[in-house]
Amino acid sequence: MQHFTNETIDIQQLPKYEETLLAKPDRKYWNIILINLVIFLAFIGIGLALVLILNKEAQTNWMIWTGLYFAFAAFLFLLYRASFKRRGFALREKDVLYKSGIIAETTTIVPLNRIQHVALNEGFLSRMFQLGTLQIYTAGGSSGEIRIAGVPIEQAKAIKEALVQRLVINAKPETV
Amino acid sequence: MPLDFSQPQRQSAAGILISGAYTVQRFARAMFIPLAIFLIKSNKTALLYTILGLVGVLIISLIYGYFYYRKFTFYLDTLKQEFVIDKGVFGRKQLSIPIEKIQQVNINQGFLQKLIGVYSLQIDTAGSDSKEVNISAISRDIAYALKEHLLNDDKNEISSIADADLNIQPFSQYDTSFIKISPATLLKIGLTSNYGQSIVLLLGFGYAVFHNIKEVLKAFDNDNGQVEQFFKSGVTIISISVLLVTIIFVLLVTNVIRTFVKYFDFQISKHHHSLLISSGLLAKKNTLLHPDKVQITEYSQNYFQKKIGLFNMALKQANSGQQQSEKEVRANNMEVPGCSPSEKDEVLRMILSKLPQDGTSYKPNFRFMNLPIVFSIILPLAGYLVFYQFIAEVRAFYPLAIFYVLVASLMIYISFTKHRITVSEDFIIKQRGIWDISKEIIEPHKIQSISTSQFPWHRALDIGHVTLHTAAGDISFSYGNFREIKNLVNWLLYQVEISEKDWM
Repeated sequence: MQHFTNETIDIQQLPKYEETLLAKPDRKYWNIILINLVIFLAFIGIGLALVLILNKEAQTNWMIWTGLYFAFAAFLFLLYRASFKRRGFALREKDVLYKSGIIAETTTIVPLNRIQHVALNEGFLSRMFQLGTLQIYTAGGSSGEIRIAGVPIEQAKAIKEALVQRLVINAKPETV
Repeated sequence: MPLDFSQPQRQSAAGILISGAYTVQRFARAMFIPLAIFLIKSNKTALLYTILGLVGVLIISLIYGYFYYRKFTFYLDTLKQEFVIDKGVFGRKQLSIPIEKIQQVNINQGFLQKLIGVYSLQIDTAGSDSKEVNISAISRDIAYALKEHLLNDDKNEISSIADADLNIQPFSQYDTSFIKISPATLLKIGLTSNYGQSIVLLLGFGYAVFHNIKEVLKAFDNDNGQVEQFFKSGVTIISISVLLVTIIFVLLVTNVIRTFVKYFDFQISKHHHSLLISSGLLAKKNTLLHPDKVQITEYSQNYFQKKIGLFNMALKQANSGQQQSEKEVRANNMEVPGCSPSEKDEVLRMILSKLPQDGTSYKPNFRFMNLPIVFSIILPLAGYLVFYQFIAEVRAFYPLAIFYVLVASLMIYISFTKHRITVSEDFIIKQRGIWDISKEIIEPHKIQSISTSQFPWHRALDIGHVTLHTAAGDISFSYGNFREIKNLVNWLLYQVEISEKDWM
């Protein structure tokens, strides 16, 4: 007979995920977001400029159109700034946490023993800033997965290594 | 009969016919309407060539079928615990399926297969496309023996089976079936459930008929809009009510027929550790599944079914994660069309090993109704009022608008009162629905990940949402007390993380 205990668990004593200290994405990641935003806005701006040049009717109201454009740009800027400030992740002993969200604040928690595999992506811009995106996959479909962007590449590699190590340990009892 | 699967073997020779017939069938389906029109319009010589062409297609299909048969082999690798299929005429393909990853095995007999007397065997795993692993023609004995090997998950048992095939065979008698659905029950089920699917089917059929009649008329160059005309002339109050009654009648009849075709002679029996489910009128369908691999167990009941004491059940298994068509999702979900309360409990006991007990219930805040009210009542009503101002014709329909608002409000209110999640030591039960009230049951160790979310304007009110992601889909609870939800999440995480149980 193995040593067996079955004590009552005080739910209030369980570790609280909501009080975990989250690591913020790297400051440089804000630059990437800004560059992407500027590129996106530039495309819309070019489109708007073409309409204003070619369409006589729109020309009369050019003040309104450009006003709307800048209001939209400022709105997007504020939204992304807020969402950037909200982001954060933590690697706990037994799970990974990630908080994000543009309007609603979503926290996703993946237990380490449910991770299927881990991927590390480096985009063109990310590489310039030496950042990476960690993707953690589960069997629960895309909505339950974690995608942590803006992690310094060295740290990202270390986390990936740590997670993969855990995976191997977790997988071992099954294969025996 | 000793059956040795460790050596590569072919399917039964009838497979040539079957795969040939499939090719012809696919061709015919794609070409049906153009061919029909061509046949009607063309003269005799062209007709002769067409027939020759068709015969040619048939011969080529059979030749292809022959090579496909020659190149298709399967065997069981007892050492690696894998089932291996080699196939492909032009490009070769080898599929190996680890036996412990197999979720269910389907043994089917379609119409053509019934004529020849062979069965097809399909293997479902969480990762693969179900069509990939399909042996289309094997004899009954081989099919059942193979299925036996594939679903015996116990590792020790498998190796012993490989040595002692003969000894195992006598024990493989099925236990007596514990659920058997009689034709009378099927009739009740057909009259009370699954209207949605029948409506979709009828709409699709109606559209196809409408479209095809127009095609044919066009082919004869005399489509002057008779079809539209026919519909227009038919619209009066009396004809509408007659039409309505006819539609309801046709709907019920279709529903009953569909239920009978699909679920005739429905049986569930226990066998070793797996469940054997078989049904079908024209094509017999046998499915074996492993209770441990069921991710979500769902049962539902509507008002009528409550009166006659019937439940619908669905056993949902892991899907491959990519976007799937509705058909594939349904193939992953084993449905039990109708069972009595005691039979329902029996199935639950079989899959969850005990009946779910009561636990803590969480109810949503009344703000649950805000968004549905805005989108399904206020916006449509505003739209109607705008039309009311400017178009005189729509004014007469205001009773309809009032009726709509009342019904929609009632539906939203019901969905609010039914939305609930109950958590006990071993189970999480999510209840939802308006007409069909369903309960989805999961065990904590089937959870893959958890998300919580909150809108900024709900922070002061302490309202939030939680979604439990499983391999068979998400279970979410919205507009609950966020502090309670956080405690619940911590508790569930604790359970998932200390649990030694495998999720599949």
